[in-house]
Amino acid sequence: MFKRYWTITCREFIYMWRDRGLRHILLLGPLLGVLLFYGIYQVGVLKAIPTAIVDLDRSRTSQELVNNLIQTENLEIQSYLENFDTLEASIRQGEVVVGVVIPENYSQQVALNRTAHILLVIDGSNMIYATNATSAVLSVSRNLGAQIGIKTLLARGVQLNQAREAYQAIVFREEPWFNPTLNYAYFLVLALALNFWQQCCTLAASMTIIGETGWRSWLQWKAIGISQITLFSCKTIAHLITFMGLVLPIYVFIFLVLKFPLSSSWWTLLSFTFLFVIAMHAVSTMMSSFASNGVDATRFGMLIALPAFILSGYTWPLEVMPDFLQNAVWILPHTWFFQGLNYLLFKDPGWAFLSFYFLALAIIALVAYSVTAIVCYWRNN
Amino acid sequence: MTMEIRVRVIDLHQKIGKKPILTGVSFTVGVGECFGIFGTRGVGKTTLLHTLAGIRRYKVGQVEVLGYNPRKTDVFKRSLGVVTQEPSLFHDLRVIENLDFMATLKQAKGQDIERVIEQFELQDYLRESAEALEAGPYQRLSMACALINSPVLLVIDELIKDIDLYSRRLLLRELNRFVQGGGTCIWGFSQIEQCLLMHRVGWLENGQLTELEPQETLEKWQQQEKEWLLPGGEVGV
Repeated sequence: MFKRYWTITCREFIYMWRDRGLRHILLLGPLLGVLLFYGIYQVGVLKAIPTAIVDLDRSRTSQELVNNLIQTENLEIQSYLENFDTLEASIRQGEVVVGVVIPENYSQQVALNRTAHILLVIDGSNMIYATNATSAVLSVSRNLGAQIGIKTLLARGVQLNQAREAYQAIVFREEPWFNPTLNYAYFLVLALALNFWQQCCTLAASMTIIGETGWRSWLQWKAIGISQITLFSCKTIAHLITFMGLVLPIYVFIFLVLKFPLSSSWWTLLSFTFLFVIAMHAVSTMMSSFASNGVDATRFGMLIALPAFILSGYTWPLEVMPDFLQNAVWILPHTWFFQGLNYLLFKDPGWAFLSFYFLALAIIALVAYSVTAIVCYWRNN
Repeated sequence: MTMEIRVRVIDLHQKIGKKPILTGVSFTVGVGECFGIFGTRGVGKTTLLHTLAGIRRYKVGQVEVLGYNPRKTDVFKRSLGVVTQEPSLFHDLRVIENLDFMATLKQAKGQDIERVIEQFELQDYLRESAEALEAGPYQRLSMACALINSPVLLVIDELIKDIDLYSRRLLLRELNRFVQGGGTCIWGFSQIEQCLLMHRVGWLENGQLTELEPQETLEKWQQQEKEWLLPGGEVGV
């Protein structure tokens, strides 16, 4: 009996291997994904944001401000422009992302202890650039504001110590936890690669049922009298082993070669991934059970696999999604997986917290497999 | 002396969708008998054969195959061999892999594989992909897979239609051996001249099956040909 199980499982491996398209997608897709995304995000932190300065004041005081801007870690002063119009043209053409306009009366206003208005223009068309540029510019303006404030107090006769104390009474110390360098690569590369991987796996798993019933060899299965449960469990074992086999190189590359941080233990990560693989397979199989042919099965699979990552709340917080979506997305195993993955990578919140995620994935798998069984039974009768 | 019955069908009704295909089919087939089911395309031959093989379920009527009710059990499938009308072997496997796989699924032994390879002269095709085979060798492989578990009942559908003569001779030789050895064969066919290869024929038409002797079947067909032949000859266009 065991030989029978083993032979059916092996045949599924052969089937996946000999289907050239499927083989290429499964073998190359996830690996290419991780290399591609690492290549893109390897810098990790967005530095050297192209910046232009329009110094209309051209005074010693404005030069001091320019020097401050030059020393800023994340801004790279690329050009000094004559006027606002040339700055606008430069931003419009994508030559710079940030523009600093120092007004003509800047030094005068500073000298008179009056409010000086410096215009900071940020190209908002690229959100990633814009967010980083805003953060960099804010840090400059905060430091500069403090310096000018202290000078103003000094000019009004306040002692230097008192002036400093006045500005240092409240200190906001920034301390990013879990990803101290706010490294984009740590946050995104693995998640994007795993998204690629889950899409490839979903594609393969969505053929679980139609991959047999859609071929004429289905008649042989029925004529021999192999039970559907036997066939299904053998195919599932082959799929689960394959999917785990595909994710392992990604984890090895990310954590052992690139040395990305992993807060949880390997065992926790792998068992969590394995449970997700089961849940993902269950949902894909369920979709496959509704399909009447292979094309439909692929479409149904992609219907879940493509938006699942975006809906998982990994890249855009669930809390700001519409109310109905906030609840609905938890039906998908992907949401539990990608949310949980973030905890495993950065925080390791402990078993008591994670057990809920494990349980949710197990329940999704159970429900999806049960629905599949009901649909198959209903279709056969 | 009464012949041992291997297949008994009583008042079988089958539908495809809402269309009735079989409307009260009854017959029996005994040991060592080759029973042909003749009919033109779409009359329900394959539906009937699939019902007997336990591939298709039925709701109305009684079917007994090797003493079992196919609706309740698959046990009879251990002693069953099936060759379907459409190519249904595992397209992703090679010839030898198909034989090996079928042998495992049907719990046959290693020497059974060697036996059928010899019987159907498949030695030259073993490394080829099943789906790349021509019709003749493909049917030889199908028959080899069907006989690998040494069944007592063979359900075959259009076994020798449009295949090369060498393969046809091989298949008929082995089929003859099988029947002479006490096997039972139920054979669906649509080419009238094949009726002479059967012991008895069931003429399937309008959902009903009429049992005839092979010669009677041939005469009935010839009678219909005379009746429906256009005055100007066979081709009326």
